[in-house]
Amino acid sequence: MSERATLLKKISVAQFAAWELHIYLDTHPHDQRALKSFNQYKEKAKALTAEFEEKYGPLTSCDMYGDSSWKWIHDPWPWEKQEGDA
Amino acid sequence: MFMYEKRLQYPVKIKTPNPKLAKAIITQYGGPHGELGASLRYLSQRFSMPYPEVKAVLTDIGTEELGHLEMVGTIVYQLTRNLTPEQIKAAGFDDYFVDHTTGIYPVAASGESFSANTFSVTGDPLADLHEDLAADATTTKEQPTISRVRKPLI
Repeated sequence: MSERATLLKKISVAQFAAWELHIYLDTHPHDQRALKSFNQYKEKAKALTAEFEEKYGPLTSCDMYGDSSWKWIHDPWPWEKQEGDA
Repeated sequence: MFMYEKRLQYPVKIKTPNPKLAKAIITQYGGPHGELGASLRYLSQRFSMPYPEVKAVLTDIGTEELGHLEMVGTIVYQLTRNLTPEQIKAAGFDDYFVDHTTGIYPVAASGESFSANTFSVTGDPLADLHEDLAADATTTKEQPTISRVRKPLI
């Protein structure tokens, strides 16, 4: 797996855990353990996302900075097989 | 408001194209128990929900279904790349191909286009939630069925 794919997978893992807790918290909004765990996964995802975006460009349009060019349009898009994929 | 995140919820990397499998899997995109209907069902039902927990759950799950829709579309897209005319014909993919080539169009495995008649929005919280339970049960039944029917081909 390429370094890009590995980092993206790490983001997916942290985001998936945070997302499952998010949905659980919709119906259990006062569960302190879940709130704490959610915050931890969110922090982890945030740090990994910052690292990814620094190296490979924006994951969301709100993380965009219009510096020298509009990086949002850069390949690959998520449905495309990426170079270095097994 | 919706924002796009430029990644799949789970990565999809298909090594070998398989148009026959694509014909079955596309039903999870635009079929009667597919992700498009699931997403529209939850995102439409939430407007008339009176409870904060349920409004949140329908918003979040309806949004997540759009992420699932994107993964299913990606699977079908990658299963149908670089096909020869012979492969298209041999797999029975030619009837889809004449209308859509290898574009991703919301249809059922039977070829019927997506229809909003596959789900219901009654405005009644209990009726809608019961419909959601039924819909979720059909999805959890259909996904293993696809893999059972198509196992020898994967």
